Amino acid sequence: MTTRTLFRLDYGSKLEHEINNIVAAFKEKNFDTQHYPQRWLAIKLLESDADIVEHVQAMPNGSQIIAVARQSTDKIKSTLGDEVDMLTADHRYGYINGVVRQALNRPSIDRITLTDRIDDIVTHKWLGLPFFFTIMYIMFRLVIDVSSPFLEWTDSVINGPIAHFFSYLLDLTQMPAWVHSLIINGIVAGVGGVLVFVPGLLILYFFLALLEDSGYMSRAAFVMDRFMRVVGLHGKSFIPMILGFGCAVPAVYATRTIASRRDRILTALLVPLMSCSARLPVYVVFGMAFFGAQAGTVIWAMYALGIVIAMLSGMLFTRTLLKPDSSSAFVLELPPYRQPALKSVLIHMWENTREFVRKAGTVILAASVVMWLLLNLPWGVGNQRDSYFGKVSGAIAPVFAPLGFGNWETGGALVTGFIAKEIVVSTMSQVYLSGEELQTKEPTTFSQELIGIGHGFVQAAINSGKILISIVPGINLVDKEKETENTLLSIALRNHFTPLSAVSMLVFVLLYVPCIATLGAIKHEFGASWAITSAIYQTAVAWIAAFIIYQGGRLLGFG
Amino acid sequence: MPEPTQLSLLQPGQRATIMHIGGAIALRRRFIEMGIVIGETILVERHAPMGDPMEYFIKGYHLALRKEEAAHIQVKLHGDING
Repeated sequence: MTTRTLFRLDYGSKLEHEINNIVAAFKEKNFDTQHYPQRWLAIKLLESDADIVEHVQAMPNGSQIIAVARQSTDKIKSTLGDEVDMLTADHRYGYINGVVRQALNRPSIDRITLTDRIDDIVTHKWLGLPFFFTIMYIMFRLVIDVSSPFLEWTDSVINGPIAHFFSYLLDLTQMPAWVHSLIINGIVAGVGGVLVFVPGLLILYFFLALLEDSGYMSRAAFVMDRFMRVVGLHGKSFIPMILGFGCAVPAVYATRTIASRRDRILTALLVPLMSCSARLPVYVVFGMAFFGAQAGTVIWAMYALGIVIAMLSGMLFTRTLLKPDSSSAFVLELPPYRQPALKSVLIHMWENTREFVRKAGTVILAASVVMWLLLNLPWGVGNQRDSYFGKVSGAIAPVFAPLGFGNWETGGALVTGFIAKEIVVSTMSQVYLSGEELQTKEPTTFSQELIGIGHGFVQAAINSGKILISIVPGINLVDKEKETENTLLSIALRNHFTPLSAVSMLVFVLLYVPCIATLGAIKHEFGASWAITSAIYQTAVAWIAAFIIYQGGRLLGFG
Repeated sequence: MPEPTQLSLLQPGQRATIMHIGGAIALRRRFIEMGIVIGETILVERHAPMGDPMEYFIKGYHLALRKEEAAHIQVKLHGDING
């Protein structure tokens, strides 16, 4: 030990007396404080710090020490009339104030900083909300439109070169046909179908990290808090809800920033109602098949419906299962604006995307294999209708009949959507188009494919750049051909759905049971009972909403 | 000097000294952690667009509180200092 005296804050005679009492008790009761400094441990025990009390309880002779500390705490409370941690905080702040006063010459408080000037606009009485919604609008245009060329590129790389590569390896090692089918039709198609969302998520998380690191996120919470309270939520719940438009899994984990458990649970229950990016392909496929130029409107309506249902659900839960409690206070620092550091933005972006990719690598992989098995068992099944998958789907199909889509193919697609919602599309194309070879393989060399990948990426970047510029109102570099599509899948869908039952189907896909990965995240954070609540609640809401739309639509003479 | 009043009743531009902190234990602890302690000067900055919460300036940083919570903080309004 050095002879240098260590800094020691004086907590005043009454507190000091009790601190010394506890330190003396360590020796008396033969209590080994292990790696904890004695004085520090005594103060924490006096403050009844929950974590430390728990630790000490587990140490030898710990319960005797806790009894001594509890006596001291009660004594302070009765003589000084205040909680110990309030008193210690008071002394610490007192000391800090003294030091600051001696060392720092604060510029006049009234000085207008850049942060103040920005806040005058972004939290302005009239401008605050329009500013917020503009930011959100730009973000969605970026995520959905700008990422779409990259999405197509990823899709073509996975289904082209990567599938060919595995095919080639399998042929080379002379694997039996079923292994070939399992890997190409099961694993590569299943996992690939999820990985195509990575470009969109990268852009979403990049933008969110930018908002977070610049300091705008807490202003968004400030501006939106009043609105969120109507729904029974906290201003901070806004961030997980926005994340929910990307993927509900990281959004559920993002609820950790909310202080009260009740607010966290409610937010996690509402997050899956935000239309995540996995649902978009379903909207797009149906939208293009049935609504042509109006597809965009239908897609926006789905997003809006998700928000409306989330609001109504929030009000419902607030009045039933999750009554507000006093712990959900809104005490939020509004930090000064800072220029976001690129490195930290990239780290945020990577960590969130990794969570999603990990899900694709584990849950979806396992699910794809199970799916493939169900489609191919009993062994040697010729028609998918006779497979286990077809039988299960056929059994549940009548449940969907009042919603307008009681056929086994749709029932099956919805069942597989439990694994991940975008799989609804790939299952439909598998079952509707089975037997039809989707594309004829042209023999290509490895180097040709490499060039193709690079060329495709450059093309995607150019298209994406054009769309980016087109977001500026009045400039349009992209010729949108939004005619009704005539792909094989579109034709097959038009044979099985009317426009009305298509809308009913989309509403059902939007609302029904969160995917297995989301439920896993809810279970991880809040326990199995909340995950089950979420699953049952959403499925019920989805059925009712689709029922109202389909039957109501028929009464009004549509479809 | 004016009578002590609730922080939530002050208007933007008004400055006050914190006299007493009430509310549930959890909320009081949260206040203390954020530097809301007796004797501190607090400045009301602005309302959020929908009137609530409000933004305050204390200990050299900006803090947002709902009126509901700010009502637990008793303050003494400073004289006619505007802004």
